[in-house]
Amino acid sequence: MHNVLLRSIWLAAVLISSASADLLSDSAPGYGELGYTLPAIGSYSLPALGEAGNGTVLNGDGKQQSLHDLFNDRYALLAFIYSTCSDVNGCPLSSHVFYKIKSAMKRDAELADRLKLISLSFDPEVDTPEVMKLYANNFRYAGSAGEWQFITTASHQALQPILQSYNQVIQREVDSSGKASVGYSHVLRVFLIDPQKRIRNIYSVDFLHHDLIINDVKTLLMQAQNQGRLLKAALSLPESSKLSKPGDDKQGYEQESYVTRSLDLELRQGQAADLISFIEKPPLGLPPVPVPGNNPISREKIELGRKLFYDRRLSLNDTFSCAMCHVPEQGFTSNELAMAVGIEGRSVRRNSPTIYNSAYAALLFHDGREQTLEQQVWGPLLARNEMANPSIGYVLEKIRKIDDYEGSFEAAFDGRGVSMETLGMAIASYERALVSGSSPFDHWYYGDDKQALPASAQRGFELFVGKAGCVACHHIGDKHALFSDNALHNTGIGYRESMGIVPETQPVTVAPGVTLQIDRSVIEQVGEPAPTDVGLYEVTQNPNDRWKYKTPSLRNVALTAPYMHNGSFSTLREVVEFYDNGGVANELLDPLIRPLGLNESEKQDLVTFMQSLTGGNVDTLVADAFAAPVGDVGKGDPSWVHGTDVEVR
Amino acid sequence: MVVPAKHVLFLLIFSALSITVTWANTEELGGEFSLTDHNNNPFELRQLQGKLVLLFFGYTYCPDICPTELANVAAVLNELDDQGDRVQGLFVSLDPGRDSPEVMRDYVHYFNKGLVGLTGSEDEVAQVARQYRVNYKRHEREDGGYSIDHSANLYLIDGKGKLTAVVPYGMPPKHILDLVRGLLAESG
Repeated sequence: MHNVLLRSIWLAAVLISSASADLLSDSAPGYGELGYTLPAIGSYSLPALGEAGNGTVLNGDGKQQSLHDLFNDRYALLAFIYSTCSDVNGCPLSSHVFYKIKSAMKRDAELADRLKLISLSFDPEVDTPEVMKLYANNFRYAGSAGEWQFITTASHQALQPILQSYNQVIQREVDSSGKASVGYSHVLRVFLIDPQKRIRNIYSVDFLHHDLIINDVKTLLMQAQNQGRLLKAALSLPESSKLSKPGDDKQGYEQESYVTRSLDLELRQGQAADLISFIEKPPLGLPPVPVPGNNPISREKIELGRKLFYDRRLSLNDTFSCAMCHVPEQGFTSNELAMAVGIEGRSVRRNSPTIYNSAYAALLFHDGREQTLEQQVWGPLLARNEMANPSIGYVLEKIRKIDDYEGSFEAAFDGRGVSMETLGMAIASYERALVSGSSPFDHWYYGDDKQALPASAQRGFELFVGKAGCVACHHIGDKHALFSDNALHNTGIGYRESMGIVPETQPVTVAPGVTLQIDRSVIEQVGEPAPTDVGLYEVTQNPNDRWKYKTPSLRNVALTAPYMHNGSFSTLREVVEFYDNGGVANELLDPLIRPLGLNESEKQDLVTFMQSLTGGNVDTLVADAFAAPVGDVGKGDPSWVHGTDVEVR
Repeated sequence: MVVPAKHVLFLLIFSALSITVTWANTEELGGEFSLTDHNNNPFELRQLQGKLVLLFFGYTYCPDICPTELANVAAVLNELDDQGDRVQGLFVSLDPGRDSPEVMRDYVHYFNKGLVGLTGSEDEVAQVARQYRVNYKRHEREDGGYSIDHSANLYLIDGKGKLTAVVPYGMPPKHILDLVRGLLAESG
């Protein structure tokens, strides 16, 4: 036949072209080589484009399953297809591209492990699970690497919410009678979904190419891994303590991956410890605990001091104990407040210092105005914005009238009853026992255990004593280390606050991963003005002492966030950044503080080093605190109202 | 795809009925069928018992998809050599009005001598298409000719006549070859 001959010539031409181009000349880029160079993996970001919708689907075995469960906490590439699709640049293109990705999975275990391919039919009438299974059979011999599932839904009703949530408009094409369906018209879209079920990219025909998709997945994997590493680094040493964390641990709240870690108070188990043993034999890395000659240590004093420390009745209105700012499981400070909040919500202008190792502090309070724990105790008891007792006598009279203290002071102090002195001595004895050492650093440095410190922390130590110069103030001795020089320095933080040097906007995290830049003027409308604080000058009245604050010990520093005298830094990383920048310039800036020129990994190493300073006995001390009685008003106690008896509530 | 002008002229010669195909989802999936082969002999699927069948649909005037699919299947068959007699390729016309057995024979032989072209009446073809869930629709063109939109999957039928896998259009011959070799090995 004539026509056949002519057509054969034409066919030969087609075959030649298809042999070289593999497929069609006007086919989508996904069938061929990518016509452009991809940006480097990790060099760009793929912000979430919204939540990936959910719905009920039928898997290859015809079983009902939620689409989200099918994602199985992996990255998912989801294509909407129908098996009878006749548009080469539609469903077959998605299959072709998926096939290329599956082939890449054979060579790339990470890709195979982390990415899942899903073809979801939008034609439930024709594409029954049986049909979809025939598609899946396709890959029976394509190697086990990489999963590609062909799924469908039970009905149009089951499908509709899924189509809607992915904004897939599908039109049924009908024949001239308007009744019979002869196909569908749809705009091809393939969705890249992350393990948190957020859409990270949507590929249309012109961008559906395996190289681009793999590049995107690798970018997301790299960024997730980096984020995970930062998160892990931030959390790595708190892990060395099981108990030392807030009941509602908000660490990492600024990251989208944050999940609630609220602890059940019912599960909190106390375990009393023989605290005196820590004073008699301090943990590795700590010097002998200084004990004043007029207040020799005893179990009775520690026990009495511990009871007083957790007793809410020691405040004006029976609500506020020492432990409410020095929270045992929050590093004996408060992880959740930059500056403390006292009785009835009254603001305190500085950050709660930790009680850990306060036994070694030659100066107390951030401005160093007190010298002994015995005396220091009375500061918060009498401060009107802390425990707010109106007088010394008020406190002593109240304790004398509380039945459960009857005889306990006498027993601990050779017959001496409660007095300004014995009360201070008792609480000081408990605080003195909260010594914490034997950290990974101590085992490495003083215990000669080469394995105790990870390499990063060892590098951090070299920086700490070398390039970064931290050790100039945070001393490390030959036999022990207190990580403090017991002196006061001007780092510029106080100066900055006093001068009102604040950025125009402040980041405020309102939900996990959602941080807004709030204009200063808005914050000032609802916030209190910054308190006046000039540090040591308030004590000495020497103008040269303005904005000097005490060097805190760095022991357990990973547990005692936030940092600095005003809690202005949430993380150790921020503290390192601050010192790396040379503090805040002012005429009284301590000459030891200067820009350090640290690179990123050096900063991380310093953080890791500081995280290695968490004491090995932290959980013992916290569990002991959990076992302590919490003093609360009970029958027969004096009421703070009119001095009458308390009515049992 | 540029269709040569002469080709269009020949398209004008043919006129055909409007064909649309629908099916109930209760229709059996795959299975036995009867058509006419390119030597004008009656054909039944059961004749190929014991062989692995590569079944696909199209039409000889098809400008792009079918030649590609045919070329792919031909490449697979050529690669099989020693096992070639255990495999049979079948190309079913969805355009029986134009695709007579003779046209089919000439056409498939351009690609591979072992391929068998099948055609039949409109009804016979529509029945097979329904069984295998092949969607096709005739498109009238302004010049009076027509083309047929159709789904272009490849259906693999085992030696017992059971549909065992469907390969979506767009897979490279290498994949089809791996699948065919796997199925052959499985059936001994």
